Amino acid sequence: MAVHRVLVIGGGPAGLEAARGVADMGLAVLLVEKTGELGGTPYAHYATLTPHLKDARDLMQDMLEGVAHHPQIEVRYHTEVVASRGEAGAFTVTLQNQEGQSQEEEVGAVIVATGFQHFDPGRETQLYGYYEFEDVITLVDAEHMMKSGRIVRPSNGQPPERVAFIQCVGSRDRQIGNRWCSKVCCGIASKQAIEIKKMLPEAKVFIFYIDMRMYGFWEDQLYWKAQEEHKVNYIRGIVTEILKKGDKLLMKGEDTTMGRPVEVLMDLVILSVGMEPSQGTLNMAKVFHLPRESHGFLATQGEPLDTVTTPVAGVFVAGAAAGPKDIEDSVSMGGAAAVKAVSLLRRLEKSLA
Amino acid sequence: MAEKATPIELEVAVVNGVELNGPWNRMFAPRVISEYDLSVLEEVTAIPGAESLGYCYQCGKCTSVCPVDVVGDYSPRKVFRRTQLGMSLFESDDLWLCTTCGDCLRVCPKEVNMIHIMPSVREKAVMDGHAPQELLTAFENTARYGNPLGEPARKRADWVKSAGVPVPIMSQHKAPVDVLWFVECYPSYHPRGKDASVALARIFHALSLDFGILGNEEKCSGDSQRMAGESGLFEMLAESNIKALSKYTFKEIVVTDPHAFNAFRHEYPKYGGEWPTRHYTQFLAPRIQQMDFSRAINRRVTFHDPCYLGRHNGEYEAPRQLLQAIPGLELVEMGRCRENSYCCGGGGGGMWMDSFTSDRLTMRLSERRVREAVESGAEILAVTCPYEVSRFEDAVKSTGHAGELKVLDIAELLAHAMGLVDAPL
Repeated sequence: MAVHRVLVIGGGPAGLEAARGVADMGLAVLLVEKTGELGGTPYAHYATLTPHLKDARDLMQDMLEGVAHHPQIEVRYHTEVVASRGEAGAFTVTLQNQEGQSQEEEVGAVIVATGFQHFDPGRETQLYGYYEFEDVITLVDAEHMMKSGRIVRPSNGQPPERVAFIQCVGSRDRQIGNRWCSKVCCGIASKQAIEIKKMLPEAKVFIFYIDMRMYGFWEDQLYWKAQEEHKVNYIRGIVTEILKKGDKLLMKGEDTTMGRPVEVLMDLVILSVGMEPSQGTLNMAKVFHLPRESHGFLATQGEPLDTVTTPVAGVFVAGAAAGPKDIEDSVSMGGAAAVKAVSLLRRLEKSLA
Repeated sequence: MAEKATPIELEVAVVNGVELNGPWNRMFAPRVISEYDLSVLEEVTAIPGAESLGYCYQCGKCTSVCPVDVVGDYSPRKVFRRTQLGMSLFESDDLWLCTTCGDCLRVCPKEVNMIHIMPSVREKAVMDGHAPQELLTAFENTARYGNPLGEPARKRADWVKSAGVPVPIMSQHKAPVDVLWFVECYPSYHPRGKDASVALARIFHALSLDFGILGNEEKCSGDSQRMAGESGLFEMLAESNIKALSKYTFKEIVVTDPHAFNAFRHEYPKYGGEWPTRHYTQFLAPRIQQMDFSRAINRRVTFHDPCYLGRHNGEYEAPRQLLQAIPGLELVEMGRCRENSYCCGGGGGGMWMDSFTSDRLTMRLSERRVREAVESGAEILAVTCPYEVSRFEDAVKSTGHAGELKVLDIAELLAHAMGLVDAPL
């Protein structure tokens, strides 16, 4: 007899949608979240979301409450999955809370939605000086500032006059070991550039890029809007190093459409850091013996027609644990994983009946 | 703030102990971009009509169709980038190289509209005194005499004397006509333009048309002056022409000049001058059956689409129908024809900046086009814009093709085949 309960690991957009989906189809859900709140990376770190620049907390509130108060969903905060045994239809998983107390639970299927972590700019082979210069920050640092409603130079607390984004930090780089495009950074940089121009209309904002990758509607929703309405300056050519000059940052690179070297001064530099598998994702690979695809994210089988089924029967993946995803991708995968998990359990029940 | 990336010009430059003087000093323009001075871009895009310069995302599609880039370092993409780098577009040579041919806009995914940008930015440059002197001379001539050539206004209809057929002038005709023929400046004054006017007058007469011209009441339509940055002058001319035309009764306007066609179709209605208007090729094409072709023209002919008839106004077929109706004539197309036709260089004020532009380009656009025509194997380059006969005839000579390629207006070819004129085939 298959256990009619699904374990969802991770309470970000993918895990929330997966939990909601399974529960709405009438099965019990055990949602395990490592931190003390639901919402995942966008909710914890982002002030606003692409593409409509709406407040992340307002936007996600209904989704969060729907899951937290769903009669079919049990949420365990500050909890991680540390071991698993059994097979599809009958897994016994060991959960551990922050006090180190363990508990075993029976579930029929597992949806891993443990997401990504932002690239650590300290590993960048270009000399961006993230840990040296206060005014070199990441997209995430900028979002944290925007949550407070203002953007300033960390070194002196003053609003910057000249801001540069540097794209592809930690992405598309064989030396670093991250050969992938992280998919969302061009859009997020454009979103933040618009927000900076709204907060500081007099600021000059630049985005230095190798090639702008604005998937689908982001092209005109973010890129064209930033350039045409908000006068954000897109410069093709990437920055290779940042030096300190007085109280400014001297950015060195090439302006490739002019074919000339660039050495310009900036007040604030924002590194568009990419995505890597989170520690939780790497841990789940071990716990459930999930193979990782060539980039290190969780592998799925049946690509491109099946985005959520892992090679381990009964275990599904949703969201950025499977590779760089935007929120739309993550939520869609959450829904798909829910359907796959529930239908697997129904199939098992019929075959055992 | 960083220093601006302005070229260094020293009186005496010393490199490794060697003195380098004079123009060599210009070689020391810095390679490194030390500032993106956005003030000019912001100033330009704040001008109504010029906003879209800031839309460029550097795809470079315009560069490969820009008629100027193949003979010089210029394209809309480059204009945007240089402006973003702080080049003063108002004072730059770049501002005057655009012929407003419109091919860039045809291919531009972001609708960066040089047809709006150029006139509005040039207008400021003209007011600030940064326009080339020869262009200002053309403006002054137009303001004073009603034509950019500086010919006396009272001689505008003198060509009629050599027409050999009656060409009614409305002020004397005292009766309504079916067709008001707007002749324009080059067809009134330029020797080769007059040849085409005589040919067209004889065709009209042979077709028993009821037509008339404004004569000395006509002034330049002003469309190219508008594109070159003189919208005030354009308005003055438009008002004068509309006032003259409003005195008379006619069913439609037929124009010789595609630039006038553009003005009548898109601009004059804004000033209250709205009449059905056709280019003469559009007017004649439906009348091919009434034309009595008594002579064959056994020549290979290629046709140059005028920018302001084709791209700007969508007419590609009428001129070709007329050419193909001529007995014996074999029409061959150049590689760039119809929508991506090359530009003769005369539009957007280019007609009046020949010294300025030819000093800055490796060859004239007209010279480049003539080479294409020769490569096509044509013996005759057929045109239907009054700027082109003189431009291309000069280019035939300067490129060393005299005797190989003739340049003739379609009106001349038709009239020759009808036995009405002896065109210099």
